[in-house]
Amino acid sequence: MTVVLIVALLTGAILFGIGIYGALSQTNLVMIMMGVELMLAGAMVNLVAFWRFLHPEAYSGQMFVLVVMTVMALEMAVGFGVAIARFRAKGSVEMEEAEDLKG
Amino acid sequence: MYAQAFFVAVFGLAAIGFGVVVFRTSSMVRSALALLFSQTAVGCMFLAMQTEFLGVLQIMMMATEMSIMAIFMVMFMMDPGGLGGMDMSHQKRFSIGAGVSAAVVAIAVALLSDWGPAAEQVADAEAQTRELGMELLGRSMMIFETAGITILTAMIAATAVAIPVKNLASKDDKEASE
Amino acid sequence: MTIAIVLLALFGSAWLLAVIEGWITTGRLSPAAPLYSGLAHLGRESILPRSPDRVFFEAAPVLLLVVAVLGMAVLPLAPDLVIADLGTGGLFINAALAYVLVAVIMAGWGPDGAYAMIGGWRFLGQLIAYSMLIVMPITAVAMRAESLVNTAIVGSQESLWNIVYQPLGFVLFFIAAMALAFRAPFDLPTAEGELGGGVDAEYTGVRLAVLRLARLTLVVTLASATTVFYLGGWYGPLLPPWAWSLIKTLAVAVSMLLAGRYLPRIREADLMRWCWVLGIPLALVNIIIVGLLILVVP
Repeated sequence: MTVVLIVALLTGAILFGIGIYGALSQTNLVMIMMGVELMLAGAMVNLVAFWRFLHPEAYSGQMFVLVVMTVMALEMAVGFGVAIARFRAKGSVEMEEAEDLKG
Repeated sequence: MYAQAFFVAVFGLAAIGFGVVVFRTSSMVRSALALLFSQTAVGCMFLAMQTEFLGVLQIMMMATEMSIMAIFMVMFMMDPGGLGGMDMSHQKRFSIGAGVSAAVVAIAVALLSDWGPAAEQVADAEAQTRELGMELLGRSMMIFETAGITILTAMIAATAVAIPVKNLASKDDKEASE
Repeated sequence: MTIAIVLLALFGSAWLLAVIEGWITTGRLSPAAPLYSGLAHLGRESILPRSPDRVFFEAAPVLLLVVAVLGMAVLPLAPDLVIADLGTGGLFINAALAYVLVAVIMAGWGPDGAYAMIGGWRFLGQLIAYSMLIVMPITAVAMRAESLVNTAIVGSQESLWNIVYQPLGFVLFFIAAMALAFRAPFDLPTAEGELGGGVDAEYTGVRLAVLRLARLTLVVTLASATTVFYLGGWYGPLLPPWAWSLIKTLAVAVSMLLAGRYLPRIREADLMRWCWVLGIPLALVNIIIVGLLILVVP
């Protein structure tokens, strides 16, 4: 058990918490995506810490971080695609005005 | 060991601090660049944890990603400069509760678990890069290729969603008038 | 010690470059001109625009300078004359240069001026055009060296320089480097004719001096990167290694300036089209050719 691992895990946990706060409290689609990015960053910190301090011989740990980075990029691309389409159709990407998505 | 803990803690605090700034400022470009510096601090944490390739990659990717984020913020926010002092949040109490409880649960798990002995040594950066490459194009090749294909699909899908529907309305009008 | 030498070489080259630039444009060779104009900038009033974003406005020129110096830190001038020979040097220089974009956007957004802001966002579009052409040729270079360490990359060119081994990559990287340094003909963010100076427009006095120095330093860093990746770094007959590095770096930088002087400014849309329709397929072809060469030629 090591100090550095705990420090990294605490950072990851707090980043995740901030991310959840942002994703739930913001009204704008782009700001919500920022919250999600912060959550993913927290997850990546944990993954790297686990790789470094628990299994430095298993490189699938680093591989996992690469996949998370891919997910971040994908989330951005698809999110902005949806945002542009929504903005073009309705003139805003505010969540409060997206009642019509409730079905 | 303690030097490493110190650097990880400093960059961790920087990441958390900039992460808080993201939702505290009302200027959208500041918000996006605060997220960028938060992610850069995370990349520096990777460097401090001797994961050089991933750290440098994180620092590189986030610069571009968050700058693009910034321009979309300016495009889609009603008050991008933040001079109007609009409140862009809702259900605040619930969100703070959810955020704090998620963080507390994660911290409790981190503190209460028995993580077992920690590895003291890791390979140097060059060997790590080599091993990661072997992993990517060896055992994990299927996953890596799938990620690549997924990126391609997302690119095409996002572009298809985003490009304007050209002349459909005018065509309908023309057909109606004929 | 190494740090001091490399920094001296970097800023010395930037100064030489400024002298040569003055020579090209005015026809007079005056070695003290950069000194005088620097002093003049220090003496001038530093005007602060109305309602600026102070943090970004002040940080942008400094960040640009820091980025250029950081990029130089991983480039070797001689086998042991390198500040940090990182295990991922070839990637690190990409990471450092990605922050040029951040600095330009900050400089564009900070002063609260319309021309500056258009210039800043224009550079974002420019990045989408050139960034792949920076990364993909470096990939091919790293493939030949079988390493991302910059000294190993130079070492792989001992028998044959990369400019001969992969000329296509060199051309693409050279053009993309010019676009990255936003020199003419790719000076879209600062276009004097149409944007009145763009991101430069609102900067005066000391801040403008730092910004100008940063842009010259950036050109030197990119020329040095071109030297390391394509022109065999420190290899050459007779002269000591560091001298060859400096000569090649200066030659590349001056050729960038000259190319900019005789070409008209390209349009944003044209740049984007050429880079994506022609540049990226060519970069992929370059990677395939290099891969085949590595497999076929022992």
